[in-house]
Amino acid sequence: MSFDQIIVSEEWEETDLSLLETLDHVLNRGLVIAGEITIAVADIDLIFLGLNVLVSSVETAHEVLRKRPLE
Amino acid sequence: MKLYVYCLVEGINALSGPVRGIGGAPVRLEKIEGLGVLVSDFDDDAVPVTQENAMDHAAAVRSVLDRTTPLPFRFGTLVSEQQLRSFIVARKPALETNLSLVRDCVEMGVKIIWDVPKDKEDEPREREDGIGTTFLAAKRREILGSELRAAQAREISTWLHQSMSGLIQAEKVSTQPSEKLFLTAAHLVGRVNVEQYREKTAQVRDERLDLHFLLSGPWPPYSFANIELEFKTQFGVS
Repeated sequence: MSFDQIIVSEEWEETDLSLLETLDHVLNRGLVIAGEITIAVADIDLIFLGLNVLVSSVETAHEVLRKRPLE
Repeated sequence: MKLYVYCLVEGINALSGPVRGIGGAPVRLEKIEGLGVLVSDFDDDAVPVTQENAMDHAAAVRSVLDRTTPLPFRFGTLVSEQQLRSFIVARKPALETNLSLVRDCVEMGVKIIWDVPKDKEDEPREREDGIGTTFLAAKRREILGSELRAAQAREISTWLHQSMSGLIQAEKVSTQPSEKLFLTAAHLVGRVNVEQYREKTAQVRDERLDLHFLLSGPWPPYSFANIELEFKTQFGVS
């Protein structure tokens, strides 16, 4: 089965919305791999990396949102 | 060398063609404990949060959506092979449950934007009332306004849920995540119901011409892949 992704809005350019929606989904959601397994194998790097990426992602999303016409 | 992890999958044994991942690295399907995982090799210690990388991540996850419903990992997930294996072994029942919840479904997104028209009565009248009265009146308007908007957001959330009932298997709704964004909803919709869902959302839009709708999808079920409770517990983050 094949799906065409469709983004519908009466006000904004589809290209911008497509990017914004993709960033929203990719950066802010999804399965989180963290915590227990890192401690189990004593690899501290992943903890810091995970948190850094998380923080960076939110900041990036805000930066992108500030440039969009929704604001 | 670390692995960049894109998503978990079930029901497929190979990718349908070459897929380019983060940094142009080829994406491959690995099998761990019977579950499929899309990964690519990654040399560095951190993944820059750039538009290109985010789009590469999205494209890799999306590459299997026609054939199965993936469970996406969050952007930037880097692990060793042993860590990935330990994660899957330790979480296998929960991951299988998550996969079964999204099986044969996709995510559809609804954002509702509402520009509330400003009432002229609400404009400050400093010259007539004085600074103190003006401040208190503004504060009163702010409190009443936010309460009113919260009530309206809940009402719209209920209306949307009732309008779409029967077509959605699960939903994640956030009301008033920002001033203008009145509501965001992620709906888990059966693949066979996607066209019907689109028709219904078109009807719903026509019912409320005072609201601006942004409808998108189908997406991999990003909003339904969270196992964040464990993360929060671990780090004390709430």
